[in-house]
Amino acid sequence: MGKGHFNRMVEIKNLTKYYGLHPAVKDISFTVGDREVLGFLGPNGAGKSTTMNMITGCLPSTDGTVTVDGFDIAKDPMEVKKRIGYLPEIPPVYPEMRVRDYLNFAAGLKRVPRKDRKKQVDDAMERLHITDMQKRVIGHLSKGYRQRVGFAMALLGSPKFLILDEPTVGLDPTQVMEVRRLIQELSLDHTIIFSTHILAEVAAVCQRVVIINKGTIRAEDTIAHLEESVAGVPMLKMKIEGEMSKVTNILNSIDGVLGIDEVAFDSPGVNIFTVKVKNDNVRKPLVSTLVGQDCMVLEITSTKPSLEEAFVKLTQTGTTSREAAFEELGKKMEAERQAEEKAGKQKEAD
Amino acid sequence: MFSLYKKEVQSYFFSPFAYVISALFLLVFSLSFIRGISTMDSNVLKFSFSEIFYNNFFYFIFMIPLLTMRTFAEERQAKTETIWLSAPITIWQVVLAKYLAVVTVFAVMLLLTLVFPLIAFIKGSVVVSSLICGYAGFFLWGLVCIAVGMLTSALTDSPILAAVFGEGAMLIVVFLDRFTETALIQSMPAVAKVFQWFSTQSRFAGFSQGLFSLGDLVFFLTLSAVVLIWTIIIIEKRRWSRG
Repeated sequence: MGKGHFNRMVEIKNLTKYYGLHPAVKDISFTVGDREVLGFLGPNGAGKSTTMNMITGCLPSTDGTVTVDGFDIAKDPMEVKKRIGYLPEIPPVYPEMRVRDYLNFAAGLKRVPRKDRKKQVDDAMERLHITDMQKRVIGHLSKGYRQRVGFAMALLGSPKFLILDEPTVGLDPTQVMEVRRLIQELSLDHTIIFSTHILAEVAAVCQRVVIINKGTIRAEDTIAHLEESVAGVPMLKMKIEGEMSKVTNILNSIDGVLGIDEVAFDSPGVNIFTVKVKNDNVRKPLVSTLVGQDCMVLEITSTKPSLEEAFVKLTQTGTTSREAAFEELGKKMEAERQAEEKAGKQKEAD
Repeated sequence: MFSLYKKEVQSYFFSPFAYVISALFLLVFSLSFIRGISTMDSNVLKFSFSEIFYNNFFYFIFMIPLLTMRTFAEERQAKTETIWLSAPITIWQVVLAKYLAVVTVFAVMLLLTLVFPLIAFIKGSVVVSSLICGYAGFFLWGLVCIAVGMLTSALTDSPILAAVFGEGAMLIVVFLDRFTETALIQSMPAVAKVFQWFSTQSRFAGFSQGLFSLGDLVFFLTLSAVVLIWTIIIIEKRRWSRG
């Protein structure tokens, strides 16, 4: 799992949480290596926050263990909590306090020695660019700034391990970019788990992804593999003038075309064809054949769907709900992983 | 733990909260002080601070839930409790820090009332020993009520509900004695005896008459401790069912 040379920083084994008879999280196991950034991906209500609350010790688990840096959360909660910086979904800020007072208070709560407090609070504010806001009352700050104050709080006490629950929700695009940059910066000397339901975010900052839905893990893989499995097939989008059936026949007759994905009307006599192809080299014969048979190619674009696009597509077509899409994605990845394993075994056998 | 205590005390004094309640308390106290003076018998020229304490307690007891209602209910509502749940600090430290913070506010309110004995001291004379006992009794009874108020705050996530429950609990604390005195309970001596164990009024009466009894002191302190432990248990229990 992951990269072999990493030490295991966090180990989660058979973690389970029942609310009454309803299982919120069922038998989850995964590990996070030292200085690894793990994306925790799933639709709303999948059990992301519950899992994170259990890792941080806010919520006791029904079954299973969480080990951080060799300490069990159930047996040595103090040791684990000292090593974790947690930013919950709703930043736990007190609206009546001023930013600096709040951070000072949080530093004390995290047992930062008195003499180091000022420096740590200054550093955290510097990192989140909230030094100008230190005298402001938190209740008067915007959502984005509150989120940053919460983030600064999570950094106090220099924890090795950061847990960020949807850190970019409710932020404007510039702030989202900033948070992503910050996570990348922090990943140099921190182990990070962060949850999100935005796929692109995972692609931007994580090495590895755990996909969770309905309380169970659907897939666990590296970004590269994930991208391959969901976005493997390149597509060509072509605006072609000509009779539809004729164009369709031509397209299908060409070697390298895997199929026509979609046909959309543009203007009378002109249609936009989305064509699945083997690779971009098919473009040349495609265009020359079409033009040779009096079909004008007005526009051609090559689209290799990004992770997000593939994901959105997956959620919109074929399946009815986002949840089902996640499930499909997970199954796909699992199948691929198994195929790979098989191939590996065969190689070994040979 | 000290950081949490400091923050809690600050949140009382940095908001109008503590001031409004202190002002109300002083208003009630001064009214009964004035009444004490104006109804003085012209022959004896003496009135009892103990009586003022006693009367005041019935008003004061309904202000305590207002002080304690926010302690846990508000944190749960605003989801700020995660900050101390995920920090290297135990629940009992949290409860104790919050308790001590409310007790501090309460002590400040009591200190403010010293102005009345001071006036009496300037214009006449005061029996100091009786006065000290009165204050001690008042303070000890307050300790129990604050613990009960925090318990009700831990039960719900709405501060308003916490206050309402708190008022109900205070009624029970105060009127347990009267209830015990009813014919129904008196007809069952075993039950009456149990109720008497928890009777706070009679013990307070001892203090307000200038009788300092170690047994009563221990009673108030242990009762507060038991209620606080109960609070800890409730918070731990509710932690299991958090979202």
